[in-house]
Amino acid sequence: MIMNNIDETNSTPPLGVGGKNIKNESNFKSPLGVGGSFLFKGLIRDKSRSLLPIIVVTVGVMMTVFLEAYMSGIFSDSIESTARFSSGHVKVMTTAYRENLSQMPNDYAMLEVDNTLEMLRTDFPDMIWTDRIQFGGLLDAPDSLGNTRSQGNVLGMGIHLLNSSDEIQRMDLQTKLIEGDFPQKQGEALITKELARKMKLVVGDQVTLMSASMYGEMAMYNFRISGLLHFGTEALDRGMIVADINDVRFALNMENAAGEILGFFSDSPYDNSRAEALAANFNSKNTDTQDKFSLTMAPMSGVGGMDFMIAYSENAQFLVIFIFIIAMSVVLWNTGLVGGLRRYGEFGLRLAIGESKHEIYRSLIIEALFTGLVGSFIGTAVGLFFSWLMQKYGIDVSGMMQNTQMMLPTVFRSQISTTTYWIGIIPGVLSTVIGAMLAGVGIYKRQTASLFKELEN
Amino acid sequence: MNSIKNLISLPFRGQGVLFLLLFSFTMSAQNYPSGKSILDKVDRNMSSKTRIMTSKMEIQGGRSVRTLESKSWIEGEQKAYTEYLSPAREKGTKMLKLENQLWIFSPSTDRVMQISGHMLRQSVMGSDMSYEDMMSDSPLLERYKAEVTSEEMIEDRRCWVVTLTAIKENVNYHSQKIWVDQERFVPLKMDLFAKSGKLLKRTTLGNVQKMQGRWFPMEMTYKDMLKEGKGTKMTVVSIQFDGAIPAGVFNKSNLK
Amino acid sequence: MNNIGKTNSYSPLGAGGNNIKKTNIDSPSGLGGKGGLFLFKTAFKSLIGNGLKTWLNVSVLSVSFVLIILLQGVLKGWSEQAVEDTVRWEIADGQYWQEGYDPYDPFSLDSSAVAIPARLQGDVNSQNLEPVLISQASIYPGGRMMGVLLRGIRPDQKLLKIPTELLVVNDNESEIPVILGAYMARQTGLKLNDVLTLRWRDKNGTFEAADIRVAGIFKTSVPSVDNGSLWLPLDKLQSMTLRENAAHLLIKSPEIEAKQVTGWSFKSVEDLTASTMLLVKTKSMGTSLLYVIFLLLAMLAIFDTQTLSIFRRQREIGTLVAMGMTPRQVMWHFTLEGTFNALLSFVVGAVWGTPLLWYLSNKGISFNMDASEIGVAMGDTMYASVTPGLVFGTMLFIIVITAVVSYLPARKIAKMNPTEAIRGKAI
Repeated sequence: MIMNNIDETNSTPPLGVGGKNIKNESNFKSPLGVGGSFLFKGLIRDKSRSLLPIIVVTVGVMMTVFLEAYMSGIFSDSIESTARFSSGHVKVMTTAYRENLSQMPNDYAMLEVDNTLEMLRTDFPDMIWTDRIQFGGLLDAPDSLGNTRSQGNVLGMGIHLLNSSDEIQRMDLQTKLIEGDFPQKQGEALITKELARKMKLVVGDQVTLMSASMYGEMAMYNFRISGLLHFGTEALDRGMIVADINDVRFALNMENAAGEILGFFSDSPYDNSRAEALAANFNSKNTDTQDKFSLTMAPMSGVGGMDFMIAYSENAQFLVIFIFIIAMSVVLWNTGLVGGLRRYGEFGLRLAIGESKHEIYRSLIIEALFTGLVGSFIGTAVGLFFSWLMQKYGIDVSGMMQNTQMMLPTVFRSQISTTTYWIGIIPGVLSTVIGAMLAGVGIYKRQTASLFKELEN
Repeated sequence: MNSIKNLISLPFRGQGVLFLLLFSFTMSAQNYPSGKSILDKVDRNMSSKTRIMTSKMEIQGGRSVRTLESKSWIEGEQKAYTEYLSPAREKGTKMLKLENQLWIFSPSTDRVMQISGHMLRQSVMGSDMSYEDMMSDSPLLERYKAEVTSEEMIEDRRCWVVTLTAIKENVNYHSQKIWVDQERFVPLKMDLFAKSGKLLKRTTLGNVQKMQGRWFPMEMTYKDMLKEGKGTKMTVVSIQFDGAIPAGVFNKSNLK
Repeated sequence: MNNIGKTNSYSPLGAGGNNIKKTNIDSPSGLGGKGGLFLFKTAFKSLIGNGLKTWLNVSVLSVSFVLIILLQGVLKGWSEQAVEDTVRWEIADGQYWQEGYDPYDPFSLDSSAVAIPARLQGDVNSQNLEPVLISQASIYPGGRMMGVLLRGIRPDQKLLKIPTELLVVNDNESEIPVILGAYMARQTGLKLNDVLTLRWRDKNGTFEAADIRVAGIFKTSVPSVDNGSLWLPLDKLQSMTLRENAAHLLIKSPEIEAKQVTGWSFKSVEDLTASTMLLVKTKSMGTSLLYVIFLLLAMLAIFDTQTLSIFRRQREIGTLVAMGMTPRQVMWHFTLEGTFNALLSFVVGAVWGTPLLWYLSNKGISFNMDASEIGVAMGDTMYASVTPGLVFGTMLFIIVITAVVSYLPARKIAKMNPTEAIRGKAI
């Protein structure tokens, strides 16, 4: 009943103390129990006044949700791109390989990779594991007689390219492929556009890779160039070849071997404490400091340079969202406050009619709670929608970046996490309710008469 | 990486260095014989107009030792042709050296690749070995003066220590020391030094056998002294001196 | 909770007829002359009269205001520091590069090591140009070969911050002194005074090896002077490689002007720091959406308050119009009132933001890390760089959009029927 009153009241301004309102005000029979539906009806019917708080809460919550996702997106972007490209969230390799990581020491590669992968997949089912080989070598382009025409130094990467697009997506190679196609069959590889230009190669040309096998012998292997890549990083662009890992295994005599196995959390972006715990657990079982071929797992933070990036982004992200939620709470609190204050006149009237201050106060809070919940719900939904758009499409600023020489994320994307789903409720519900509670205190402070007088304003 | 060098260079280097000792000239020391005279005697053992040789090479990898078998045809010091026989992966890989040019053929790629230009000068994929190292140098005694500097025992063999010091600038090693068996005139050890006197590489030779009227070391170990590891061991399986080699062997078309 | 009463007492309605009379009704904008001042005063008073609501809005706006300056400032400070560090550690006032020199191609080093051109020799002698010679070499930490770049520089150079004075050779010392960056030291496991073997080739290709001693380890934020490099005395490297008086680079001091020299090209500081600037540009694009969201938040608050207050004060508006103000004037009054939020937020922002910005500008935010491996010059302390231009620019921007947001709900006023408004039924 009480709620019914309030809602009906809201449908017209308190200033217009018209007969219609009075009629509704006089409807005392509605008990609290059915208040919800009336309240809801009220919220829907209300054109000019309840709608505004809901819109404000909705917009505010939407912004909170969007900001949270966006911040996660931009902060994790640089970390995730490094993880995806080279370090993984965790990386498994031999102890000796890890010690000489910068030299891509395939003579310390892991053997029996399928067993190791199976073990990892069994022991850590919530991770995605993928094996890769990094190598160095010389690329040799033939003339029409098959003699050497040009040569260039290359960094190489063997990843799963055939029969699976997981790695292509993970490394975002789709956007880096600027000419040709991904390898469709064995013996095809991608090289960088810059290298192709230097060596005067085009898509479809045959090249020979000269490298060292895992045992140290000279290794030679032919590739047909299926496509050209551009990374935007001079160090990579000047000489990089990407091929299917099985081709590379064959080329480097690394059957069932791999330099590294990268692990990714299947359900979340990089989580440092989780990665560290995982690595500690793995290493206590597998690492033998005496055996340089024993396996070791390195969390991303244990791989050069990333420790800082991770700590920095965790803190900065928290700080920005914290500030924003405080600010958002203040705004919504204000909304709740304003919503309460403007109705002092109405409260006066209701007190005069015989409602208790208590009932009025409670109705105010419940209404605020309703506003907050509805606003939070809609706001979260809309915010998630925009975040999803932003996650899927992102804002591409690459057009604004001329002559990019670095591998920078030029598409800003959001990232939706579990936090994104609930974060909006903090400012949305709590602040609105607190605002209404504070505003409602005035009901107790004032005399019915003075509240009633507000009606005239 | 190291072993790439070994793979390519050993058949030549083992050959080349010894061969070049032929052109020595006398730099006599007081009580010792002249360097040239020692090296001349070494040459009588070690050099021949041609040689056809089958050898095995043990390459020390990170985890295991692998053995490569190859057959080489060598004429003088400008021409060498090597074909790998085993393991299966290497079978059919051929290399041809003609003067300052080096070609490699790999059957799996069906390609003949030349290692040339500034690539020759550079290290092979970051290793300490340059392609240049595989190439024939000009005669040793054109670049070094040879001097017998002392006598030393290696195992139970008494050796002359011949010290070679560069007299030209464009040499890979500023000085070398060769331990020559005083009785058999076979080198048992060779050290390569930097100008600072630091030992860079060491080759030890052993299992000296008398064959076809000459003493010849059938085993040789090559080691980069700055690196960890046991080095690479080469064993001569069979060798034929001054056999006839058809002219077509040293032809690029013979690679494919 | 008293504020409602206060609002009204400061409102133009309560200010008495005196003021109204003074208003120049002919002035269409209502902003000129005394009328403008009147609007200004009453709008301000009316805003302050709103009490808590106003201060809440103002505090949110001040957060946005300070945050924008802060983030911009940190970013700007970071980029300035990155450039400054690069200048101090690596490039001074620009570099002459030998034509064939390519920092990414170690194979270019052999052919591009040439004698310092005669035209520049004078500046080299007067230390206005510091030559750097680069050469490939190998070291063997842990028995495994590792390629390094030797960089020869004069120990008495003054242009760069690299502690080259540690390279002064003792006559009785047999080892060659080298210094290296902290990151390189970590990569190689080298410590101060470690002695190890270095192997290189001279210009003829002859292998040479000697012992080197780690004479110093320096911490720098500039990766290119750290990663993979060993610094040693220039004359030593020249004699080691038999490249008398040769160099790849000549680092220029600000004292002299760049010249045209055949075979050498001059790279200015701008050329050499272009990639850092690009990084900053990308970063600032990434954060600009953040400003937008924060500002939106503040604008939401102001819009909300404006709409409600216009709604609440219809009678006041109606009365004002009835007393002779044009609806436009009233509209400006409300717009102005909203815009004052911005001004108040500057005051509030200044109160709490100034100490914060001062701290960040002078003490900086400290990170315990070594960022050189990220590949960008980045110190372990980040300082904010706040300029008057940044502050005033941000203020102007905020005023403009606050005005727009205040104006939007106020537009309704112009369309109001005064009679309806007095009755509170205009909206």
